[in-house]
Amino acid sequence: MKRQLTASLTSVAMLATLAPMAVSAQAPEDTGAPVQVVNLTVVQEGQGWNALLDLITQDFATTHEGSTYTVEYSPQEQHSQKVQLTAAQGALPLLYTAPELDVIAQLEASGYVLDLEPELERLGVLDRIEPGALSATKTAFGGKLLALPMQLNIEGFWYNKQLFEQHGVQPPTTWGELIAAGETFQAQGIQPLAASGIQGWPITRLISGYIFRSLGPDAMQQVDAGTASLTDPGYVAAAQAVADLGAKGFFGQGVSDLDYDPAMDLFLQGQAAMFYMGSWAVANFNDPERNLIGAENVGFFPFPNVEGGLGDSTQTPMNIGATTLWNKALYDDAAAQWLKAVAQSYGNVALAEQGQVTGFVVDAPPAELPALTQLVTAQIAATTTSVTWFEQLFTARELSAAFQNVVPLVTGQMSAEDYMRSVVDAGS
Amino acid sequence: MRRTAITLLVVVEILPLVWLFLSSLKQESEFSLNPVYALPEGIHLQNYVDAWTTGRVGTYFLNSLLVVLPSVLLVVLLCATAAFALEILRWPGRNKVLLLFIAGILVPGQMVLLPLFTIYFQLGLLNSKLALILTYVGFGLPLGVFLMVGYYKAVPREVLEAAVVDGATVYQAFRRVALPMVGNAIATVALVSFLFIWGDLLLALTFTSDSGERTIQTGLLAFADQYGARRWGPTFAAISIATLPTLLVFVILNQRVIRGLTAGAVKG
Amino acid sequence: MAAFLRDRRAVVLLLGPALLVYTAVLLIPIIWSLGYTLFEGSILGGFRYVGLQNFETLAGDRRFWDALRFSVGYAVASTIGQVGAGLLLALAYVFWLGRSSTLVRTVVFAPIVLPTVAVATLFAKLFAIAPQYGLVNAGLDAVGLDGLIQPWLGQASTAFWVIVLMDVWRAMGFYAVILFAGLVEIPADVLDAARIDGARRFTLFRRVLLPFLRPVLFTALIFALVGTLKVFDSVVALTRGGPGSATTPLTLYMYDTAFNFLDYGYGSTIAMALAVLCLVVTLALFRFARADVDR
Repeated sequence: MKRQLTASLTSVAMLATLAPMAVSAQAPEDTGAPVQVVNLTVVQEGQGWNALLDLITQDFATTHEGSTYTVEYSPQEQHSQKVQLTAAQGALPLLYTAPELDVIAQLEASGYVLDLEPELERLGVLDRIEPGALSATKTAFGGKLLALPMQLNIEGFWYNKQLFEQHGVQPPTTWGELIAAGETFQAQGIQPLAASGIQGWPITRLISGYIFRSLGPDAMQQVDAGTASLTDPGYVAAAQAVADLGAKGFFGQGVSDLDYDPAMDLFLQGQAAMFYMGSWAVANFNDPERNLIGAENVGFFPFPNVEGGLGDSTQTPMNIGATTLWNKALYDDAAAQWLKAVAQSYGNVALAEQGQVTGFVVDAPPAELPALTQLVTAQIAATTTSVTWFEQLFTARELSAAFQNVVPLVTGQMSAEDYMRSVVDAGS
Repeated sequence: MRRTAITLLVVVEILPLVWLFLSSLKQESEFSLNPVYALPEGIHLQNYVDAWTTGRVGTYFLNSLLVVLPSVLLVVLLCATAAFALEILRWPGRNKVLLLFIAGILVPGQMVLLPLFTIYFQLGLLNSKLALILTYVGFGLPLGVFLMVGYYKAVPREVLEAAVVDGATVYQAFRRVALPMVGNAIATVALVSFLFIWGDLLLALTFTSDSGERTIQTGLLAFADQYGARRWGPTFAAISIATLPTLLVFVILNQRVIRGLTAGAVKG
Repeated sequence: MAAFLRDRRAVVLLLGPALLVYTAVLLIPIIWSLGYTLFEGSILGGFRYVGLQNFETLAGDRRFWDALRFSVGYAVASTIGQVGAGLLLALAYVFWLGRSSTLVRTVVFAPIVLPTVAVATLFAKLFAIAPQYGLVNAGLDAVGLDGLIQPWLGQASTAFWVIVLMDVWRAMGFYAVILFAGLVEIPADVLDAARIDGARRFTLFRRVLLPFLRPVLFTALIFALVGTLKVFDSVVALTRGGPGSATTPLTLYMYDTAFNFLDYGYGSTIAMALAVLCLVVTLALFRFARADVDR
């Protein structure tokens, strides 16, 4: 397994080096000038990418004395507002967590978003991003590389191997099997699925998963293009399928009260049999203090097929996580050197420090990679088509309706049809 | 029966607070192993240490104090003088100006966020305590002036007249005669504005992004975001820390305020 | 005396600073904000003049009417709860506890001084169902009322009442003190008469106490109504407007519209509707109070 990962990673790196590089502009001279990076971000100081960027900056500071990395934390609920107000005053820092797509479009028009691809090319480090991740990132931003793939995640169902064995359940491959498995656990008094209703998105992704399996991988693009509507019967059926999971009690009685971490804890403490989540959570699965069932007891199965559907399990929901934009207005030569340093070492640092798979090339993999990290890499390698997620092309209003109303949907307070209509109405 | 009813009432009022305090002393494992109404097994002060250090509640606390104290002082000073000019002094248009102030009570704070943000940015005041102080004073004025005007109404005109006969200037009349008579009122305005400012979330959230400038409420929200869902112990400790000063101020001002409210409410 | 009270320089000196701050922080921004109601767009994308279009949108916006319905329903329920419970408490202070009610008064008053974010976080834990039962569900569990265990904040019907309950719990002591203040102003002989004549307590309350209390009651009602119509922090911290948008007040809808949906003009229009609502309620109360006195 380990060798396979190293092989796949290095082959990608080699491919990239073999490809002739188009040199568009002179690389800037490194004068050793310091850079003061400030990141307006929804991640707290010392957590997630802040820890990694801080490490990279400390190293950078040995050759660029006086360089610093500072976090301006901004709570998720207020983040979009913060970015807009700050941008309107020309006070955006060099880095900031990306808001919704419609806000990004306005920011770009105002000159606050850097297109990273030509820059990375100029600095000679574009080959540090794996081609697959490069195209996935560009797809997410309408064809431009507006963020670095600081994560490369797949999504699917994680399951408790021990519970599955105990009750003679096989990892489901079809939606029908998923329901049968859930009913088995339900009958034994085990909650089949852990999901956070407060966050909303962990449940809407079940809807999009169903849509991609039943209507095909381009189903959400069709909605965006206007050739299909969320209120069409096929889409409503997906919302209905997820509402049915709720009606059967699969999410437990506290779904509306569960936040992200407690939902994960339900799974990691053995109280829920399955958990739909992205592979960024592997960092938590690998933490023995958090994971009481043990990393070796966590299995993965792709979103099950829907009987008679147009999609299948070679199509994996894949994303680069929450993204960080670069402010073009503050981007100068000193910042360029820092960008170069980040591109060169992020993949290695992230894998070594957090077991986080990124879209960057890894050329110094740690000697021992956790099994779950290897599993993720293998799944990425086996993916032929990547799909996104339910809200990927939504405006802020549609996004908010989709998240907010999903708890009423799975607790029977709102019908599937009304749910889809509320999202459509929010967009009009 | 009477005694029971009153005891029940007191219990209902303080039970959540007692629960809050007791829970802040529990270890993490107690929350998942024991029912939440169980008494703590020991006194686990580590929750307070965690909240104070890793949660940085100490910094937020100090920030809040540095903003709240000058704001409350200014609100009291400006309300006392303005209400004197509006209620005691006679000049054309004073009723209209009074109405203008009182109308401010009705304005939702969200309405002025964006213009204010723009102004503060142009002046370079964002992320500064001055911006918060200015805003709090502005928002504290309408209710404060409204209350103070009510209290000044109760100051007998004869007393003022006597002062004038003695040759006092208008400023002396204000300082030596009117002001001492509205002491309870000042305590009331001070408490009401203290509560508003100490508890404000919206304005602090909008005008400060620097984590070093965070006030206790924005800090508490960030803390609840980060730990609230999983770590109940430190969260309860942080809430206790945010709650304590208001209870202290209240205990100190209590008698004056209740008397002040008494006088003001009747006249208002 | 006349000259003394008409000292213009004193007016400027005493009123000037307050008026200056008030104008800069509230008046100018309000007018600025009102101007936005005629525009579409955001500070980032730029503004476009649209005339009265925002007001037309408002009339046909279902979410606006839902939020308005919640705001009004919540304000009415909370006001009745706060002032009603406050009145009962005040009567209890006077008739049961006499003037030695200081301790009870202080204890019951205390919650109003607690920060709303702290109170809301506390209530979220009180009514929690997951990951652990909160105090309420755990209590029901302990006494065998398992059937009543439910996600209190996850259902539109119960979430509404939890918010109202929180507000009544928080504020009833405050209104009790204000109303108590009104009651102790009532001449002792009137009170004695009320005390002696226990049989016709309600009539006495209506005929004797209420007329005395009217101005105080009026102040309390305005305080409560305007305060609850502008609710923001506590709802955000307790339910985030959910489940769905069932507990979204106008203030939160306005905030979302302006800052999350990038429509500052429409957001300002909602804010103006809210300000108008507060104004109408206040004026209606004033008129009502005056008509009552005239009669």
